[in-house]
Amino acid sequence: MSSSLLSFLVRRSAAAALLILIVLSLTFFFIHLAPGDPTLVLQDPRLTAEQREAMRSAYGLDRPLAAQYLSWLRAVVFDADWGISYVHSRPVTEVIGEYALPTLLLAAAGLLVQFGVGLLAGVTAARHAGTSRDYLIRLTAMVLYSLPVFWTGLMALLLFSYNWSLFPPGHLQAVDAASLSPMGRTLDVLHHLALPALVLGLAAAGGTARFTRNSLLEELGEDYIRTARAKGLSESRIVWIHALRNAAAPILQLFGLSLPLLLSGALVVEVVFSWPGLGRLTFDSILSRDYPVVLATTALTGVLVVVGNLLVDLLHGVTDPRVRQ
Amino acid sequence: MSPEPYRSVTTCRLATLVSVLLLSSGCQRLEGPEEISTAPTVPQRGGTLVIAIGNDIHGINPLISGVDTQTTAVLDRLFLHLFEEQADYTEHPPTFEPRLVESFEWSADGRTLDLELRSGVSWSDGVPVTAEDVRWTWQAQTDPELAWGYAQSKQNIRDVEIVDQLRLRIHFHQRSPSQLAELNEGVILPKHAWSQLPFSEWRSNEPWFVDHLIVNGPFDLESWTRQEQIVLRRNESYFEPELPRLDRVILRVVPQKQNQLGELLAGEVDFVEQVPPSEVSRLEEQGVQILRFWARQFNYLCWNTQHRLFADPEVRRALTMAIDRQEIIDTLWYRFARIAISPILTSIWAHDPDLRPVPFDLEASRRVLQSKGWSDTDGDGILDKEGEPFSFELITNTGSQVRIDAAVMVQEHLRRAGIEARVRQLEFNTVVSRALEHDFDAMLGGWDIDTSLDLTYAFHSQSIDDGYNFGQFSDADVDRLIDATNQAMDPAERMLLLREIESILHRTQPYTFLWEPQRLAAASNRLRDATPSPVSSYFRLREWWLAEAD
Repeated sequence: MSSSLLSFLVRRSAAAALLILIVLSLTFFFIHLAPGDPTLVLQDPRLTAEQREAMRSAYGLDRPLAAQYLSWLRAVVFDADWGISYVHSRPVTEVIGEYALPTLLLAAAGLLVQFGVGLLAGVTAARHAGTSRDYLIRLTAMVLYSLPVFWTGLMALLLFSYNWSLFPPGHLQAVDAASLSPMGRTLDVLHHLALPALVLGLAAAGGTARFTRNSLLEELGEDYIRTARAKGLSESRIVWIHALRNAAAPILQLFGLSLPLLLSGALVVEVVFSWPGLGRLTFDSILSRDYPVVLATTALTGVLVVVGNLLVDLLHGVTDPRVRQ
Repeated sequence: MSPEPYRSVTTCRLATLVSVLLLSSGCQRLEGPEEISTAPTVPQRGGTLVIAIGNDIHGINPLISGVDTQTTAVLDRLFLHLFEEQADYTEHPPTFEPRLVESFEWSADGRTLDLELRSGVSWSDGVPVTAEDVRWTWQAQTDPELAWGYAQSKQNIRDVEIVDQLRLRIHFHQRSPSQLAELNEGVILPKHAWSQLPFSEWRSNEPWFVDHLIVNGPFDLESWTRQEQIVLRRNESYFEPELPRLDRVILRVVPQKQNQLGELLAGEVDFVEQVPPSEVSRLEEQGVQILRFWARQFNYLCWNTQHRLFADPEVRRALTMAIDRQEIIDTLWYRFARIAISPILTSIWAHDPDLRPVPFDLEASRRVLQSKGWSDTDGDGILDKEGEPFSFELITNTGSQVRIDAAVMVQEHLRRAGIEARVRQLEFNTVVSRALEHDFDAMLGGWDIDTSLDLTYAFHSQSIDDGYNFGQFSDADVDRLIDATNQAMDPAERMLLLREIESILHRTQPYTFLWEPQRLAAASNRLRDATPSPVSSYFRLREWWLAEAD
């Protein structure tokens, strides 16, 4: 690794850490300032003021907000201790770890669909620009992009699960998954994953396809493409190797930005498809004022944004020699 | 109070007064579920019942899992209470059927209760359930460090004395009508297994309890995949012969109600709670059983009685007369609700059957308001007095569509009377905070109530600063009568006192009582003897059975 790249990574990482710290600090104060507290939501409304105070003391909420903030920050920075979930009564890292896996699985599958289908459709549309195939792809892409994921999800369930029984009606695994062999369980998860991943990925694929088409069309009009054609290179090679590589920068930007967006999009899909994951955890935690979990999931999203952007920069360097120089 | 309008937080527990602002959850059954259409057959043993639930449970230790309804409903199948409250409160105060208790006897002064535990009841590891477990559970429930959410229910218990292995003596500070209900709050926990972990470490070690789970109820926990499903299996060491009838019960977490119903129709699940009234006809047409009971819930408009517009009881009554509650019920609840009259539900034994709802009478309402000086002097369609329009903000919580729709209908009804109500939807916690600070004009919400009939929570003036008297209603007679009710041991005397309170509240209308809903559950046709009730959605789950056991 060159020293300039190392220096770049260090600078970016430091800036990212600062950014996450600012986001977390703002989140900490905002959520604590929001009306209501965990003792109201989680406990019997008949609690007397004294009992409620005991409850608040058990959660450490009886101290001044600044003191709470400093001790929380100290624990996070020096001990990597994100605290104990008020709702789940166990370390937040355990809770997040457990819920993150299904969400990451869904987001990864969604990304695969988004960029697999989106790139293919975008390239096809660009190669056949102005033809009926192009119009059909653009129309489909626009429709997919316009439909709310919530509605698409419900319709997909109605058609492919309840009516035709092609896919299970949501969930991560079947009721009797525990009795299956390891291979059977894997296939079962994939079967359950297919429909939510398609719904999550196809909605975004519409945007990716249009984005890819436009970027690629610009490149296909460049002189070096004309030169390549004059040299007798095959159209596939011209498009996939030369043009697409130069059109990759904005598409990679899109990829980086998609990482956190897929997480938030996953919330809707998780609810519709009864998929266990971080989205539902975060939503429930906000409603129940489970501050430690909200802060940890916020941090995770922040990290994903930063990592996504960092990844984009690095990939940009790989695909564009000018950046490396 | 419920956190989320849709996903409610109410607990259908004894002597528990829970929850404002939720769509669902009531706790008691006024009349039994409707007869199942299929012919009765001999109960069969075996099979797996699949139940769709909206939310996952919070944990398996009831003392640190909050007061979430779903969690309570599941944990009550794993652990036994001393007694089981019966849903028989329509004619008299509810009775308590001994469960872990074999027999009990009150002292003459009513301040001491002798309990004899059932012999032959053991934990799932074979260790007998003893008086030690009961006393230790009480100590855990009242431990300040643990801060159990229902600890206040034990305030009247002075001591739990162990007489011998199976006998206890409960010492109360004073006699009260809800002594037994309060004693029965919470399940009995395994001292020999769970006392190994100090109370101070309970709130950070929930998984420890899963690893050390020992039960004495009809079911044991087979597995728990968070946010996915909870699998209960028959506890083979359960003390009642032939029970439970089901081999397994799987509770599948399905957040969306429409998906729950879709899975029911697709044969993936057998039982769905809290079915929207609008879905009933469609489900019935497809051969689904609909089970229903009157929830222990009433919905209301709470007037802030310290607000200049709502300080006069006659004005509040005129507002009630201007609201067509029957239309709200017909539109939003179809036939599955009725007009609420007072905080003593029409399904409860103490309710005065001669008390009629304040009639919907727009003309009478206008006349009263006119007599109070309200008229439309500037012709803008809104009544005014001394230059001030009759205009206020009506808040309700997001997430409960039925409440939001009701608020809009109320707005329209009041508009016809020349009153402007500006509907504002707020997140649940915000509504609760504003209600506690009395920072509102009017609020549309709901209460799930218990059978203690202690109206202190919302109608006693002492609850203005420390309680849930959101509207700051204060009436010396009501205070006196509530205090007297809470001391009266004779049900007949209590009934008279409660009816006096009802009469005053009916006259003064601190709330406009809107509706009492039924709770609807849908079940596959193979499910038999399912008796969801306000006591619990899974009331007597041990006796439910499947006609075609798989």
